Amino acid sequence: MVEDALAKGLIAVGAGLAVGLAGIGAGLGESGIGAAAVGATAEDRGFFGLGILFTVIPETIVIFGLVIAFILMFAF
Amino acid sequence: MLKPERMVKISVVGPKEKLAETADLLHRLNLVHIEEPEESEYFRIGEPHPEASVVSRALVQMRSFISHLKLDPTKIVPRRKFRESEIEAQLKEKLDEYQQLIGERIEYLRSVDEKIASLEEQLNQIEPLKRLGIPAKLLKGYKTLSVFVGFVKEDPTEKFAQVTSDFEVFSTEYEKELVVAVFVKAEYGDEFLRILQECGYREIQVPDVEDFEAKISEIQKEIESLKARKEQVEKEIEEVKVKEAETLLAIEEYLSSQMDKYELPLRTLVSKYSFVLVGYIPAKSFNEFKAKMDSNGVAVEVLDEEGEPPTKLSNPVGVRNFELLTTTFGIPRYKEIDPTVFIAIFFPIFFGMMLGDIGYGLLVTVLSLYLKRVFKTEGWQRMLNIGVYAGVMSIVFGFIYGECFGPFIVPGEYEPYQIHFIGSQLEHLYEFHHGHPIFDRVEEMGVKILLFATILIGIAKILFGFALGFYNVYVEHGFKEAVLEKLSWILGVLGLAMIIFGFAYNVGVFYQLGVGPDPGNVPPLPLPGLMEGWQAGLNMYYIAALPLLVIWFILFVMGEVPKMGAMGVILAVELLTWFGQIMSYARLLAIGLSSVYIAFVINFIGMKIIDPVGISIPILGAIILIIGHVGNLILGILDPGLQSLRLHYVEFFTKFFEGGGRLYEPFGRIKRFIEE
Repeated sequence: MVEDALAKGLIAVGAGLAVGLAGIGAGLGESGIGAAAVGATAEDRGFFGLGILFTVIPETIVIFGLVIAFILMFAF
Repeated sequence: MLKPERMVKISVVGPKEKLAETADLLHRLNLVHIEEPEESEYFRIGEPHPEASVVSRALVQMRSFISHLKLDPTKIVPRRKFRESEIEAQLKEKLDEYQQLIGERIEYLRSVDEKIASLEEQLNQIEPLKRLGIPAKLLKGYKTLSVFVGFVKEDPTEKFAQVTSDFEVFSTEYEKELVVAVFVKAEYGDEFLRILQECGYREIQVPDVEDFEAKISEIQKEIESLKARKEQVEKEIEEVKVKEAETLLAIEEYLSSQMDKYELPLRTLVSKYSFVLVGYIPAKSFNEFKAKMDSNGVAVEVLDEEGEPPTKLSNPVGVRNFELLTTTFGIPRYKEIDPTVFIAIFFPIFFGMMLGDIGYGLLVTVLSLYLKRVFKTEGWQRMLNIGVYAGVMSIVFGFIYGECFGPFIVPGEYEPYQIHFIGSQLEHLYEFHHGHPIFDRVEEMGVKILLFATILIGIAKILFGFALGFYNVYVEHGFKEAVLEKLSWILGVLGLAMIIFGFAYNVGVFYQLGVGPDPGNVPPLPLPGLMEGWQAGLNMYYIAALPLLVIWFILFVMGEVPKMGAMGVILAVELLTWFGQIMSYARLLAIGLSSVYIAFVINFIGMKIIDPVGISIPILGAIILIIGHVGNLILGILDPGLQSLRLHYVEFFTKFFEGGGRLYEPFGRIKRFIEE
């Protein structure tokens, strides 16, 4: 019973780490791109659409983390 | 819809003396997208009409008035429209009148501002002297004494004492600085000046004033009267603005149109006796256009299509709003599919799927409708229309999810009235469904179903994108290219989808959803060598994936190797990118869930404060509820909006949409203040 609870807790911690660390990684990636995209948009408004596109590309990493979290929570 | 409007390339040729008339007609028709000409041996670029410089000067003047009055033509709905002849008749008169009514007043205001500034400067000099309390006549005009009057940053008295003891310093504090008057024998003057400069000395010019007090009040009175006068003139200008706004804007519009016409020769080739103008017009207007030009004595001919026609997006009214989102990404090229209609369908649905809340959706809708009345420019109107669609979809999905400012049922031992301020009412509303939402996305099963559904949407959307890409490449480069470049990826993505299904089948997703048999305890991925008993993991999906991936790989190699050499094979890794993009659609679930839980937490805290075991503080609870939900709503508009846009831009458009077209900009303008 105690072991079961422990396992559940560790799974929750693992899920949290998956989302959290992925989020930090995506944030680090996005910061540089975002700054450059804002600079480029200031030069040329037409770059806005492409700028958003570039900025959000690393965000997929978080979704990976999230999917892993879901798999951890549901599949185990 | 789907395709930009069909264009024909035409030339307009006529005798040179007809050019002015033709310009007039073309401007009125507002149809021809004129191409910039290239000079040749006989044809040179024409010269602007001799009147152009006069008109341009008047136009600059009008625009300066309009900008000073802060008139925004997009925000003004004209009460009456002017006829062109009417404006022509009184143009000169009106220009003079406005010069008098507005131009001179602006000049006057500028001179008043200058006067006020110089008076304030005088005040700044006299004020510290008054504080010092020494009459002006004692501060200057000595023969044997040097006098210094001014500001210093630190007290120089000690430094003076090291030079001589025979001096006098009066000082007082004034706005964080020291005002000093220093009297010393003329022979020490230079030495003292040096010391003062070390202390950050700024001299004050002593004016010839008998009584500081009187002078100050005199200046203040003058400033006040100038300010009153200024206000008066500003009010007069404001009156002119209210009365003459339409006329001003109509004249500006008239002059701009005139300017367009006078400068048309700069976009036309002329020889000694004739002119030629090349451009594009929508095919459906061609006959009408030709007839009008013929009757004007000018020849119109259809040219061979070389070069790329401009793009005129043509979409039905509701869909047109979403052109804003398409063109932000890029302008479709003439032969490309215009993806506006897809973004019009899927953007609001995705937004609704993510936000999915009756209350928030209602607020988004109402807010958009309200702002539509405030911001009248076309860009804002389109964006706010999109807001209305998105808001309505949020309400629809909110009803399905059973959320209104957060969920009323969450996993755990909570009663609806404990966790939601209108929990009981919501439960009552869903009585037809046994007090449960139609689809509950917060409980475990709901999350699983939604996760699987979003991945299905991802697969479908990416395949659809490649199908559109297939069409685009087929039109531009032919069937073989299309097969190698796009069909190969369709097969590849299908193979991936089969692997995802196979995996889902093996971990029991289908079984849990009630659409498949229990797979039993089998390895999720049948990887030979890596897993013991991998044969058990084989299922029909994995078997179906194999031929798909083989055909994909062959087609891919056939397509890439001639272009990239043997290294092109490595690019097959790109298949994994599509896997990432399919997973990326899981954000449709994830973004929504995060905002649901934020709303739940806000409600939970709010309810705990309003209805606790101990002391109840309803006001604090209400404040937390309001601030929390406003914050969550702001996040709830920004995030789903951007994410939904991103799912289109990154995961969908990149499969088929290249962009890089030019917008159709016909010669002429839409008249708002002048009637035809």
